[in-house]
Amino acid sequence: MDPTLEKQIASASRSVEEARRLAYHDPVRIGALVEQISVLADLRQKEGDFRKAESLYREALFRVLDLRKSDPELLSGIYSLLAYLYDRWGKMDEAARFYEKALELSERNGLAETDKVATIKNNLAMIFKSLRNHEKAEQYYHEALECFLRVDGENSPRVASVYNNLGVLYYSHMEVERAQEMHERALGIRQQLKQDDMDPADLSQTFINLGAVYKASGDFRKAEECVERAKKIRASMNGFRPKPRRAAALLVDANG
Amino acid sequence: MREILSIHVGQCGNQIADRYWRLVLREHGLTEAGVPKDPAATANNANMEVFFTRVRDGKYTPRAVLVDLEPGVIARIEGGDMSQLFDESSIVRKIPGAANNWARGYNVEGERVIDQIMNVIDAAVEKTKSLQGFLITHSIGGGSGSGLGSLILEKLRAAYPKKKIFTFSVAPSPVISDSAVEPYNAILTLQRIRDNADAAVILDNEALFRIAKSRLNRSPNYMDLNHIIALIMSSVTASLRFPGKLNTDLGEFVTNLVPFPGNHFLTASFAPMRSGGQEGQVRSNFPDLARETFDQNNFTAAIDWNNGVYLSACALFRGDVRAKEVEENMAAIRKSLNFASYVPTGIKIGCAETAPDGFSSSGLALVNHTGIAAVFERLVSQFDIMFDNHAYTHWYEAAGVSRDMMATARNTVAELAQSYRDAS
Repeated sequence: MDPTLEKQIASASRSVEEARRLAYHDPVRIGALVEQISVLADLRQKEGDFRKAESLYREALFRVLDLRKSDPELLSGIYSLLAYLYDRWGKMDEAARFYEKALELSERNGLAETDKVATIKNNLAMIFKSLRNHEKAEQYYHEALECFLRVDGENSPRVASVYNNLGVLYYSHMEVERAQEMHERALGIRQQLKQDDMDPADLSQTFINLGAVYKASGDFRKAEECVERAKKIRASMNGFRPKPRRAAALLVDANG
Repeated sequence: MREILSIHVGQCGNQIADRYWRLVLREHGLTEAGVPKDPAATANNANMEVFFTRVRDGKYTPRAVLVDLEPGVIARIEGGDMSQLFDESSIVRKIPGAANNWARGYNVEGERVIDQIMNVIDAAVEKTKSLQGFLITHSIGGGSGSGLGSLILEKLRAAYPKKKIFTFSVAPSPVISDSAVEPYNAILTLQRIRDNADAAVILDNEALFRIAKSRLNRSPNYMDLNHIIALIMSSVTASLRFPGKLNTDLGEFVTNLVPFPGNHFLTASFAPMRSGGQEGQVRSNFPDLARETFDQNNFTAAIDWNNGVYLSACALFRGDVRAKEVEENMAAIRKSLNFASYVPTGIKIGCAETAPDGFSSSGLALVNHTGIAAVFERLVSQFDIMFDNHAYTHWYEAAGVSRDMMATARNTVAELAQSYRDAS
């Protein structure tokens, strides 16, 4: 195991213990305990010990449920963290169940118009795609798209990502024209992004996806062009590591 | 270091913890706060860290996790003279209780608290270098110890498939009982013990009650019974806590005592059996001690001695005993015991220098006898009477335990009893 990670886990583990001691006498400290627990759970997940990560998130969940004053934002955060964990663990049904819980809770408490909810919807769509539920996947992508458009505006990397995801979804369903439209939109945004927001890996992926679409529609010249551009971008990235596929809808920032 | 983690579950499990750790502290020369009375002597025991973690200032904390669904017993431990002993981060208490209902401890309340318990256990395990296993104390008749205890057993087995799990399981008896549904709880728990534990020492309240009654001139209470249990537990674990030759790890216990998988239900006997406060007066000669150790009336389960055979036996003598005496006397005792025809008639014998606090010498027998089938049969027949009349089962169904689940557990325990009868 990575020695740095090992050290981080040991120290997070000690912090959780200390927080448990404090919360044992003073229930007001449970917020702080939940925070420590999610830090440790996140490290466990990195380590690949999903069983322990699950157990930690579930402890946090029930601790929050036990609070006298309910905290829907925190609770929905923990639901999505659990869902994200199940997603990575390959337990798609559980992941979908917990994301939907998180969504329902957010919407019931007037938190629908936030990027967190949009992220959850995007992730849910990905899960339904892998569960081969095309309709639900499409529906959630569109909802996520609308939400990101409202929160971020037209030219945001997150909007581009959802366009890209929709493109991939349509392509997998052999709806080539719609896939082409989505990828072109994604490309339009991604080419215009400022240096800081630009992720060359994303851009090259868009070219590859577009290339596949053109090839499917019989336009081999354009397809080759796209692949060439993708290759060029890849070559200039040397050693750059692309970001993880899905973002955890991040969430726990309770204090006290 | 081959550490052992003790897990005390429910009211009964924690009352035992209270008595047991008290005895162990004294044997190891520690104060109620875990501070060595004579640091040099304590440091001499190489096995100290099997049951204790050394914390700052040379203080020792038991490797123990205390779990209850009611605050009472743990609060009493914390409010008493051992208030500084246990680590608060390893105490888990949740209210409300399991209301004597296995299903509430296993499903309803259990679900809300099991992850916290597992996290605490994981953290304790991570502090060990090479854990050998777990000891669980609980009653199988109540709600928390039985239901939540079962859930813990299952989760432990799944999370630590290669570690040894020993339970000290208190079986209910109509003689001293506070709830009608105890047979249900006991049957449901026994199924989990059979499937998930490596060995279980059955502490039958019926037998404990009889032992206590014969030693006291009054009707015994739970404290008297728990004191006996604590004496037995401290002797069973003595070979693990102090350097020695016999049964020095949990794996050795299992190899010596369990001839068939699943038939890992043991019963124990402690001698000289006296009630709390009388220890000082005890000074018996070895032949008496050995005889009392293997006296049928002194065992902690109501065994059917006449219709059964010994599958295996261990004995541990502690304190002021001489090897020659042990050999002479045990040869005679060995001959008098009725062993199964297909097992060697040996009794594994061990000696340890340190006697329990207040005793000059003591004996412990730990045996696997097929007559334990009687305990299971008694519980099954009590179960059947209620179950066939649908009495109280709605409480279990309401908490997510179907009649099918209960029937399966009942059949498992009936088969267990039969397998012991067949082994005779």
